[in-house]
Amino acid sequence: MILYIFSILLLIFLAPLMPSFMKMVKMYLLYKKPISIFQGYRDFSKLLSKEIIISKETSAITRIAPFLVLSPLLLTLFFLPPIVSGEYYVSFVDAFTITGLISLSTFFLMLLGLDSASSFGGLGSSREAFISALVEPAMILTLFSVSMMAKNLGIGQAGINLSLHFPSSHIASFIFAGISFFILLIAENGRIPVDNPETHLELTMVHEAMILDLSGFYLLLIESAGSIKFIIFASIFVSLFVPFGLNLPIVSAILVFIAKLFIVAIAVALLEVNIAKLRLFKVPNLLGIAIVFAFLSLITFYVLGA
Amino acid sequence: MFIFDKLSILFVFLIMLGVVPNLFYSFGYLPHIKRKVHYLVHYFGFIISMLGVVVAGNALVFLLFWELMSLTSWQLILTEIEDKSTIKAARFYFFMTHFGFVFLLLFFLIVTNGNLEIDFNSMKIIASNFAYPTLLFFFAVLGLLSKAGVVPMHVWLPYAHPAAPSPVSALMSGVMLKVAIYGLFRFLFDILSDWQLEWGVLILILGAISSLVGVLYALSEHDIKALLANHSIENIGIILLGFGMGMIFLSLKLPTLSAFAFMAALFHSFNHMSFKSLLFMGAGSVLHQTKTKNMEKYGGLIKAMPITAFTFLLASISISALPPTNGFLSEWMIFQSLLGSASIDNISLKLAIPFSVFALALTGGLAIACFVKVFGITFLGLHRSTNAKHAHEVNAMMKTGMILMSLVVVSLMLFTPFYMKLFDGVTGQLLHISIYNKIFPNIWSMHSISDNGGIVSPLILLAGLIVLTLSIYAIYKSLNIKDRVYHTWACGYNTSAKTQYSATGFAGPIRRFFTWLYNPDEHFEKEVIAGHKTKFKDASFSVHVRPLFERSLYQSSVKWTNKMSYYVYRLAHFEQSRYAAMIFNILLSVLFSYRIFVHEFSWATLALESVVMIISIKVLLIGDKK
Repeated sequence: MILYIFSILLLIFLAPLMPSFMKMVKMYLLYKKPISIFQGYRDFSKLLSKEIIISKETSAITRIAPFLVLSPLLLTLFFLPPIVSGEYYVSFVDAFTITGLISLSTFFLMLLGLDSASSFGGLGSSREAFISALVEPAMILTLFSVSMMAKNLGIGQAGINLSLHFPSSHIASFIFAGISFFILLIAENGRIPVDNPETHLELTMVHEAMILDLSGFYLLLIESAGSIKFIIFASIFVSLFVPFGLNLPIVSAILVFIAKLFIVAIAVALLEVNIAKLRLFKVPNLLGIAIVFAFLSLITFYVLGA
Repeated sequence: MFIFDKLSILFVFLIMLGVVPNLFYSFGYLPHIKRKVHYLVHYFGFIISMLGVVVAGNALVFLLFWELMSLTSWQLILTEIEDKSTIKAARFYFFMTHFGFVFLLLFFLIVTNGNLEIDFNSMKIIASNFAYPTLLFFFAVLGLLSKAGVVPMHVWLPYAHPAAPSPVSALMSGVMLKVAIYGLFRFLFDILSDWQLEWGVLILILGAISSLVGVLYALSEHDIKALLANHSIENIGIILLGFGMGMIFLSLKLPTLSAFAFMAALFHSFNHMSFKSLLFMGAGSVLHQTKTKNMEKYGGLIKAMPITAFTFLLASISISALPPTNGFLSEWMIFQSLLGSASIDNISLKLAIPFSVFALALTGGLAIACFVKVFGITFLGLHRSTNAKHAHEVNAMMKTGMILMSLVVVSLMLFTPFYMKLFDGVTGQLLHISIYNKIFPNIWSMHSISDNGGIVSPLILLAGLIVLTLSIYAIYKSLNIKDRVYHTWACGYNTSAKTQYSATGFAGPIRRFFTWLYNPDEHFEKEVIAGHKTKFKDASFSVHVRPLFERSLYQSSVKWTNKMSYYVYRLAHFEQSRYAAMIFNILLSVLFSYRIFVHEFSWATLALESVVMIISIKVLLIGDKK
C-alpha cells in the first residue's frame, strides 16, 4: 500500500517534468538553448501566485469545469498498472472506465471552450470534439485486442500478466496494437502531427484555443490536467507495450519505469521535430491508421493466432 | 386476457417511472396548450394504452392497445395544429405507424390461426408448426421496429417528435419506443421459439447502423427536438446491439453471456427512458421560453434557467456515456457483451463483431461531440436572440418534473444493483438462468460475464470523483486567490453574440468529414466591398442536410410510384385499337410464358419469344414517340 501511494505521488511529481523535458529535447535538437527540466514547476508556481481573471460573459461552468477537468484524470492515476511487482493495484476498474474518465475530462474541457463566448473557444471545442470522436473507436478496439493478449481487461492485472508472460506467440498483433496506441497517445495529448501545443495560431490550435480565457489557478488546473494526461498515457503505454522490468528489485524497477517514461517522451519529441503538423482534415487519416492497426491486431489475433 | 409476469411488470415499472415526473411537467405545461381537453383526454389515453400493451395477454388486446397508442399519440402530435408542418408530420407518423400495424396484424393472424383470443402459449405451438419462421420474424421486426424507429424505418422520428408538445415528445421518445422493445422481448421469447443465428445477426446489424446513422444526423441538426429525436434512433440502436448479441449468444448455446447481453439491453432501455425524457423536458422548457426550436437562436440560458441547465447537463453526461453515470454503465455492459464474442467458435462471426464494437465506440465519441454542441450552444456563451435574452426559469410544476426525472437518472446510477436484480428476474424468467450473483458479487463492483471481462465500480468512481473534486476545491479555497471579472479576450475585438461559434460551425469539421453521407446543400452569400473577395460587410451561410434514407428510400419510391401512375394514367386514355393490341399482347405473353415456364424450358425459345414480345409491344402498344 505504501508502494502504491508512493507510485501515485511519483507520477504526480513526474507529470510536470514530462512536457518540459520534451520541450528541452526539442530545443536541444533545434540547436536552441534548452529550457530547464523544472520549467513546468516554475510555471505552476507562477500561476499559483496570480489572480484569476474571469470573463464576464461566462457562467457557473467556468467556475466548475476546471475542477472537473482535473479530477477524473487524477482519479485515473489511482487505477494505473503497478510499477513494481507485489505493489497494490486497483483490480475493480477496467480499461473502458479509464477511457471513459478521460472522455469525461475532455467533455468539461470542451464546455469550457464554449463558455466564454469567444470564437477561439468554440473553434477549439469543435476541433477537439471532431478529433476525440475519432479517437474513441481506435482506443476501444486497441484495448479489446490487448485485453485478449493480456487475458484481462483490467489495466493493472493486464500489466502484470504481460510482464509475467510476454505474448511472444502473439507478437504481430501485439506490435499492431502498440502502434495504434502510440498514435492515440499523440492524438489525445495534442502533440505535433495532431495539434501544436506551443503556438497560439488560430489556424492550428486545438487545445490552447479552448483555454485561452483562463488564468491563474484555473489555468494551473488545466495545465496540470494536460501533463497528468500525458503521464497516464505514457505509463499505460510502457506498462502494456514495454512490459519489462517489473520484477526487478524495488529501486531498480522504479528507475527502469522512470527511464521508460523518459524514453517515450524522447520518442514523442523526436517525432515532433521531424514531422510537420497535419491539417485538421488530414488528422482523420492518421487516426484512420490507428483504427486500421487496431483492427489488424484483432484480426491477426483471431485468424492467425499470431 | 392480461398477463402479469416479470417482463410485463418490469415494463409497467418503466412506464410508471417515465410517466410520473412527466405528469408534473405536463401540468406545468398545460397553460400553454389551447385545446386542453383534447390534450388531456389523449394524454391519459396514451398512458393507459401503453400500459395496456405491456400487460396484454392475447393478440386482440395487444393489437387494440397498440392501435390506441398509435392513434392517441397521433392526436397528441396534432395538439398545436396551427403549424402546417405539424399536420405533415402527423400524417407521416400516421402512415408509418400503420405500416407497422399491418405487419403486426399479419404476424398475429398467422400465429393465432385467426383466433385472436388465444394466449401466448398456444401461439407458440402454432408458430413452431409454421413452415416459415423467418417470415414471422420479419413481420415482427417490421411491425415493432418501425415503431421503435430503427433504420431504415426511422424517418418519422425527426418529424413527429419536434411537432408534438414537449411532455408528449418526452413520453413518446422515452417510453413509447420502449414498448416496441417490450414487444420484441415478448414476441421472440414467448411466440417464436428456436431462433436462427441469422436473426440475431440481423438485429445486431440494424442496431449498429441505427446507432451510427442516428448520431450522425443528430450532429447535423439545429432543431433541438429533432436532434434529440435522432438521438433516440441512436439509443434504440444501442439497445438493439445488446439485444442482437443476446440473440446470437443464445443461438450459439451460451446462455450466461446471452442473459448478460439481454440485461444490458434492458438496462439501456431504462437509462434511455430516464435521460431522454429529461432532455426533452429541458428542451421543452427552453423552447417554451425562447419560442423557437432553432438552436442558433439560443445561448447563455444557464444564467437565466439554472435548474433546466443543470438537469440538462446531468442528462447530457449520462447520454454521452461518461462515467460514473447510468448511461456509461449500460453502454459498458453492451461493450462487455460484444467483447464476449471472443468465446464464439464461428470465425466469420467473430471477425464481424469488432465492427459493431467500432460502430458503438464511434457512436459514443460522436455523442459526446453532439452533447457538447447542444449544451454549449444552448446554455453557454451569449444569447443569440432577444427571446433568449429575456428568458427566465419555467414554472414550479415543470421544474418539479425535471427534478423528479433527474432523480430517476440518479437512482439508476446509485442503485444499479437493485435494478440489475429486477432485470435478472426477467432474464431468469426468459432464459431460466440467474447471473445476478456473478455480476454483483458485492454491491460495490460490477463484473462482466465474459472471459477476460472487465470490472467497474460505479459507486467507488462517483465517491472518488467527488472526494478529489472537493479536495482540489478545498485547496483552491485555502489559497484564498483573488478573482476579477473582465471582458473575454478576443484579440482586441469585442465579443458579441455573432462572433461566437454557432451550432452549424461547431459541427462543421464532422459535417465536412462525413460529406458523402450528409450531402449538404450549402448556401453562402456575401456582400463584398469594392470587389474585394475577402472584404465583406454582410454574409449569410446556411446549410441543409438531406437525409440519405429519406431521399433514397422514401422520396425515390414516391418518384417511382408517380412515374408508374403516369403510365397507368396513359393506359386509361388509350383509343380502342390500343386496347385491342394490349389484349393481344397479354394473350401472347400468357401463351409464351406457359410454354417457357410450365411446358418445357429452353434458352433459345426464351430469347426468341422475348424478342417477339418486345417487338410486338413496341410496335402495337407504345407506337411512335410524338
